[in-house]
Amino acid sequence: MSSPAHLRKRSGYTLAQNVQFALQIIILVAAVLFAVFPIIWVASAALNPAQSMVTQSIIPLLPEVRVVYANEPGTLLQVAAPDGTRVERSAELVLLVEVAGKEKELRAIKNGYVENIRFAVGDSFVAGDALYDISSSYFINFDTLLNTPRKPFLRWMVNSCVIASISALIIVLVTAFSAYSFSRFRFYGRRSLLVTILLVQVFPNLLALVAIYLMLQQIGNHIPFLGLNTAGGLMLVYIGGGMGINIWLMKGFFDSVPRDIDESALVDGASHWQVYWQLIFPLVRPVLVVVGILSFVGTYNEFVLARVMLRDKDTWTLMVGLWQYISANFAQDWGVFAAGAIIGALPSLAIYLMLQDQIVGGLTQGAVKG
Amino acid sequence: MVAISTHSPLPPFFLQMHMTRQAAADNLIRRNRGGGAALRLLATYLALALVDAFALYLIYVFVADGVIQLAVAVGVVTLGVNIINLRQGLYALRWIAPALSLMTLMVVYPIIYTVYVSFTNFGDGNLLTKQQVIRILAQETYLPEGGKVYAWAIYANAAGDYALWLSDRSDGERYYFATLGSFAAVESLPPGADPPAAYQGYQLLGRREALQAARAAEDLSFGVAGRPIQIAGRREAGEFAQRLVYQPDEDAILDMQTGSLYRAVYAYGRDQTTGELHKTGQFVNDQGAALRTGFRAGIGTQNYSSFVDNDEIRGPLIRIFLWTIGFSLASVFSTFALGLFFALIMQNQRIPLRKVFRTLLIIPWAIPGLISVAVWRGMLNENLGVVSTIIRAFGLEPPPFFIDPGWAKIGILLINLWLGYPYFMLVCSGALAAIPTDMYEAAEVDGAGWWRKFRDLTLPLLLVAVGPLLIASFTFNFNNFTIIEAYDEGGPPMKEAGNLPAGHTDILISYAFRLAFGAGRGADFGLASAITIVIFAMVACVTLLQYRLTKGWEETSENV
Amino acid sequence: MKQVNLFLMLAVMLMASAFAGAAQDDELIVWADEAHAPVVEEIAAQFTADFDIPVVVHEIGFGDIRDQFKTAAPAGEGPDVLMGPHDWLGEMAVNGLLAEIDISDIADQFLPSAVAAFVYEGVQYGMPTSAENVGFLRNTDLVPDNPATWDDVRAISEALQASGDAQYGFIMFDNNPYHFFPLQTAFGGYVFGLTAAGYDPNDVGIDNEGSIAAAAYLEAYGADGLMPTGIDYEVLHSMFESGDAAMIITGPWAMPRILESGVNFEVASIPAGPSGAGKPFLGVWGFMISAFSENKLAAETFVLDYVGTPEGIESLYSASPRPAAMIAVREAMDDELTVGFANAGIEGLAMPAIPEMSSVWSAWGNAMELVRTGELDAETAFSNAGEQIRSLLAEQ
Repeated sequence: MSSPAHLRKRSGYTLAQNVQFALQIIILVAAVLFAVFPIIWVASAALNPAQSMVTQSIIPLLPEVRVVYANEPGTLLQVAAPDGTRVERSAELVLLVEVAGKEKELRAIKNGYVENIRFAVGDSFVAGDALYDISSSYFINFDTLLNTPRKPFLRWMVNSCVIASISALIIVLVTAFSAYSFSRFRFYGRRSLLVTILLVQVFPNLLALVAIYLMLQQIGNHIPFLGLNTAGGLMLVYIGGGMGINIWLMKGFFDSVPRDIDESALVDGASHWQVYWQLIFPLVRPVLVVVGILSFVGTYNEFVLARVMLRDKDTWTLMVGLWQYISANFAQDWGVFAAGAIIGALPSLAIYLMLQDQIVGGLTQGAVKG
Repeated sequence: MVAISTHSPLPPFFLQMHMTRQAAADNLIRRNRGGGAALRLLATYLALALVDAFALYLIYVFVADGVIQLAVAVGVVTLGVNIINLRQGLYALRWIAPALSLMTLMVVYPIIYTVYVSFTNFGDGNLLTKQQVIRILAQETYLPEGGKVYAWAIYANAAGDYALWLSDRSDGERYYFATLGSFAAVESLPPGADPPAAYQGYQLLGRREALQAARAAEDLSFGVAGRPIQIAGRREAGEFAQRLVYQPDEDAILDMQTGSLYRAVYAYGRDQTTGELHKTGQFVNDQGAALRTGFRAGIGTQNYSSFVDNDEIRGPLIRIFLWTIGFSLASVFSTFALGLFFALIMQNQRIPLRKVFRTLLIIPWAIPGLISVAVWRGMLNENLGVVSTIIRAFGLEPPPFFIDPGWAKIGILLINLWLGYPYFMLVCSGALAAIPTDMYEAAEVDGAGWWRKFRDLTLPLLLVAVGPLLIASFTFNFNNFTIIEAYDEGGPPMKEAGNLPAGHTDILISYAFRLAFGAGRGADFGLASAITIVIFAMVACVTLLQYRLTKGWEETSENV
Repeated sequence: MKQVNLFLMLAVMLMASAFAGAAQDDELIVWADEAHAPVVEEIAAQFTADFDIPVVVHEIGFGDIRDQFKTAAPAGEGPDVLMGPHDWLGEMAVNGLLAEIDISDIADQFLPSAVAAFVYEGVQYGMPTSAENVGFLRNTDLVPDNPATWDDVRAISEALQASGDAQYGFIMFDNNPYHFFPLQTAFGGYVFGLTAAGYDPNDVGIDNEGSIAAAAYLEAYGADGLMPTGIDYEVLHSMFESGDAAMIITGPWAMPRILESGVNFEVASIPAGPSGAGKPFLGVWGFMISAFSENKLAAETFVLDYVGTPEGIESLYSASPRPAAMIAVREAMDDELTVGFANAGIEGLAMPAIPEMSSVWSAWGNAMELVRTGELDAETAFSNAGEQIRSLLAEQ
């Protein structure tokens, strides 16, 4: 962060400036509260062992629970049947737990309730060959998220990062070419083409799904790596969809770079290719970064297309995987979803943190160093 | 001065930079000059030839697969790429060609598909093509009068021919053995016996092989001509016959069981004499009964007219239209204003921890919208939500965000603002960075206050880059189906909606889709497409109008 | 130059890949939601071992299976077998997406009502596995005995509120007709008239006397301050779990979260009204076979001989505890919650599977919400809804 020297040349600030500064700080803090407040609730939901979205306290309350009895796995248990008789039942695991002072039995047969026991018990125990560790408490949602073999969260995250980065990169490259042309060349139909791109992009394409599905399927029959159920096919869709508005966004920035710079280079015999890469490209870095980040986050969080195009669990993106936690009828697990959303937001934020100097400082730095 | 107008002189640092860049450019020109032009041309032709060969192959296989529309799409794109690359006059388009090709495939093609669908009855009940329907219906079988049903076991001989051991339990327990072409009773076994391991040179197949064999033999007819026996299920075989047989000459399906002939109906619109709608895309017999499954067929402009002619749709339409406009405008304005405001504040170098603040402000946008809306819904809930709790703590009655139409609208706008401002903050930060600080210096020297600097310098320059995004944002919100559905599915409901369900927060597209997917038999993609196109026409008009009105951006940029 | 090279490389890559080709496997594809997919995989492993036919189980969100099936099946990308509730039948059958399945040899092992739920226009399209329905839940610390009638419910609620033991007695969704239906039937309401051939779309009962009486009950109940507005799924359960509300109507899907909350509760039948016991909707889950399956015999063998066995149904039941549709498994159920739901569903009515249902739900829910929020009185709201539904159905 090198702030240009000319901004600091005044030694002191006037009263008005100080008042303005104080005001700005107050507004900023209010703004940050507005921005972050709901996120606190997402975090609270992620830490809440109960699967609730309407938490009534920021820090969720953990009911006090202790295990009164856990059976030896494989034993037959006598259980009271509704008519009063006792029946024997084989169960993998039965727990008698005390929840907030009241005893209740929790049954567990494989995928039954035991994996859903989210209470702090303070120790772990072994049943069968599985170790049931119920000592973690607030982080049980994160635990579920990261340690459910049927839901390979980290793999989905890697998929998402790969798909989003490659898509964003290609979108930036391709739209920058177009923007250069629209900004620097004057050709017949330029304006109509621009307007057409804008119009095409505003088409309410809720039904495009069916068309794109059929197209990818056909393409996939002959070019397997661009078909359904492949990252390639999905990227193709994202890249195609990311053209229009970003061309406009880029063109606006390219326009703000004075044409004299490249015109004189052209007069001197440089090709457009050289002018583009060596003169213009470094100058428009802020917008390239903006478009890159916008495209990355846009594709990273997209799931409507992805969940139809990707079928195998190993190819899923993060959002498709997380969606499974809340797509069940009535039985949504918002806690795990919230935990996933928080971890899932990290790559986007990391990229933003890394690149934000480029956005804000790009041009000024270029000037200082250039 | 300070109308730092669009004709502003070049700021000093640009000149400085210009010179250094110029030196760099001179260097590179010297390095690259001479030779290579012919080679370059050759490489271009080679690449084009390869692309063309591949495209021709794709077109060939698409035609072979029967997907003509895709073949045409590939053809158009390839033709375009060729023309652009071969004609020197179209040099500018070469830069745009990759983007245009991608857009044609992924954006324009689906639009054309939507237009096509809007002229068909594609939807529930008419989901499949006619060929598919005929194929599906051909699976139905029936047992002709006197036909017999057996339990089966499958055999195979050394030559790979299959045969069936059949047991008939309807009449005591009798056994038969049927090969392809023969059928004979087996008299030697007592009732209740298992099929023998081998019989007349055929070996009984084990369970695993039997399933594979039965699959292969599913289409075969065993026994003698005239009384063919077919495998009909995992237990049953019998003298089953295909019930619904397509008659190409009459373009109709004959029900072999009843003798009824179901003709394919292509006529659409209302019948001249009866005034009833034709059962387009169905197989209908003389009594007017239709087979269960219909097929996709063209219905002209019926989707459009049913939308336009329906008086009841118009009932709540004006209110919904006004709200749609209001919602879109308010969303664009609020998100842009807040985003720009934050971007401006963040410009102040004095603010400590700018990086941290900026990142915190961008968070809403990194969190998936799904969970954000769910969290907001929880926060705004009048019973348990934290917003309500806080308001109650001040002794006030919490606003009914999901019950009262006005508050519901405010709730949606609030959430949309939260979801949307980071986008504009980011874009504006980038755009502000492109405005050379020297310009502000110059303005300050001239004694311009912050408001004048903002109005005369920042805003005009900003709008060059951001203007089109405002239009795009407007149209995006115009069709922002997701947030409306996620908030309260268009609710609270309008009580005076007439005979169609409409909600106070419904926008055009959510209302239209409720109609297209929630009336009659279920999803009606044809109607939905028609509605989409009507809405597109409206949005396009608004967009063009805005584009005309704000042509200034374009001119500004021409002259910088 | 670089541009050209890139172009060249891409072209070569595309061509190379084009001729690689994809092999079509002789496999069985099954679609199931996440609750059932693991068990289906286990059952499938046995099938694969016996027949050497690979089975691929795709886990697809419950809310997505139906729409994705409609997109994928006609394109030849769909599954051979899919799992879902019976109310999808109508829509899928008119689209020709399902194959008939002959379960006659094992049908007598299942509840007749569950088997019948998978019949659409006289054709059997599926094999049932479980039948789920809502029941009446009460916090046993606040309400020791199950109320027998809706008048009792009101009396208990008033007493609880008066004593201050709980904020509310019985509460219910603002606008969910599925959960409202048992109350509606207790007062004599119905959705479509039931004939021997199934539901009759021409006989709409949303605005009959009983339906309006049920809505009026709710209207008065809310107006007297016994229940707040703004209740959705989250609020309903949160209030029950925290003890703020003593009685709710919900289904087996909510059991894990309520159990975790530690609240003491029981599942019982729906209280009765003037027309007798409240009848909840039955949602019957089962397996269906795609009409586009290339290997129906194997699909049928898998469904009927591997899933449709006591062991298969039992393992599905243990993965997702809902009353089993197979009689033997049902009788062996010893989980009191599941038994409670099973008892509540004895008189249940299969949810209408006709494709016209989509137009019913939203008009019906809107009517509820208008009553709950006091916008319209019960009679007007439900009469309007009846008219709306008739008009939407007439458009066909």
